[in-house]
Parts: sequence; structure tokens; C-alpha cells
Amino acid sequence: MSTGGADKPGSGGAGGAVKTPSDFLKSIRGRPVVVKLNSGVDYRGILACLDGYMNIAMEQTEEYVNGQLKNKYGDAFIRGNNVLYISTTKRTLSDGA
Amino acid sequence: MSQNNPSQLLPSELIDRCIGSKIWVIMKGDKELVGTLCGFDVYVNMVLEDVTEYEYTAEGRRITKLDQILLNGNNIAILVPGGSPPDV
Repeated sequence: MSTGGADKPGSGGAGGAVKTPSDFLKSIRGRPVVVKLNSGVDYRGILACLDGYMNIAMEQTEEYVNGQLKNKYGDAFIRGNNVLYISTTKRTLSDGA
Repeated sequence: MSQNNPSQLLPSELIDRCIGSKIWVIMKGDKELVGTLCGFDVYVNMVLEDVTEYEYTAEGRRITKLDQILLNGNNIAILVPGGSPPDV
């Protein structure tokens, strides 16, 4: 399969500011993150390690269902197939219309 | 070859041209995201910046702002370059 070659450095159209998924994975280890699953549940914690499948090990994990804290885990492993996104933290929530 | 003829643009090349600009991602299910595209891979997993997430639930629309995310390509349905906000 020949896709746009976005994995190759410098292949992007924006002149060097390209950050591919693998770059992102490398850059966020050890940082506080929010992981959202397909089910809509959020996990906030410190990202201990992760791989290309988006399998994730987290520390100091807090489980949020509908924005409300439901559980805390010292260590948690999340299987990658459930992951919708991994986000660096700093976020605000607002329910609207 | 395909570089010169705009009618022969691969889908992934179209996405590649969106890097650095706003993009609107429509997911399977009632979810949409708007953000600046930083990069993507062969699965169309995407790195997005300054993201607004829109979830359409029974209670209404929930908006979440996110700094930088790696979005799993698995549930992506449609990509719209330019990132028109879903303000309907």
C-alpha cells in the first residue's frame, strides 16, 4: 500500500512542522494524559508506556464516566483497540445546547 | 506521475496537503472533531492540535477542548479539509 508517505520526515506540506503518530507516541511518555475509549469513558493519569497498537500503561489513573470521577487505579493497562484518542492534558469541559 | 495531474491525486496525498491546516473529522457514531492536522500514518491515525470535540448525545451537544491528541483512525468516517465548524 502506498500512502502519502507521511511517515517519512519532511514529506509533509507544512514545511517541517509535521508530527506523525509515532512522533507523538515518543513525545508523550511520562506526561499526564487523557485517554478516551470508544465507550466514552475517560482515563486521566501519567502515561507510563505505550506501543504502536496504542496499548497503554498508566499510573495514578482516574476513571471518569460522563465527566464524573468513578474510580481510581494505581496502575492500569488499557488494550489499544479500545482507545479513541490519547490527549495531552489541559482541557476544559462545557456542556451545551 | 500523479504529482503533475491534479485529477490523479491519491486520497492520502490530499490529506498530506492538509498538514498544518484545519481539518474537520467526522467519526462513525455521533462524534466530530475540528483541529489542526499535524500528521498521520498509513492507518490514518492522526495527530491533531487545538482540537474541539463535539459529541451528540441525548442530553445535547457536549464540547471538549483538547490541546494535542493522537486520534485512532479506526472510527474515522470522513475528513473535510478546511475544518468548517459544525455549528448547525
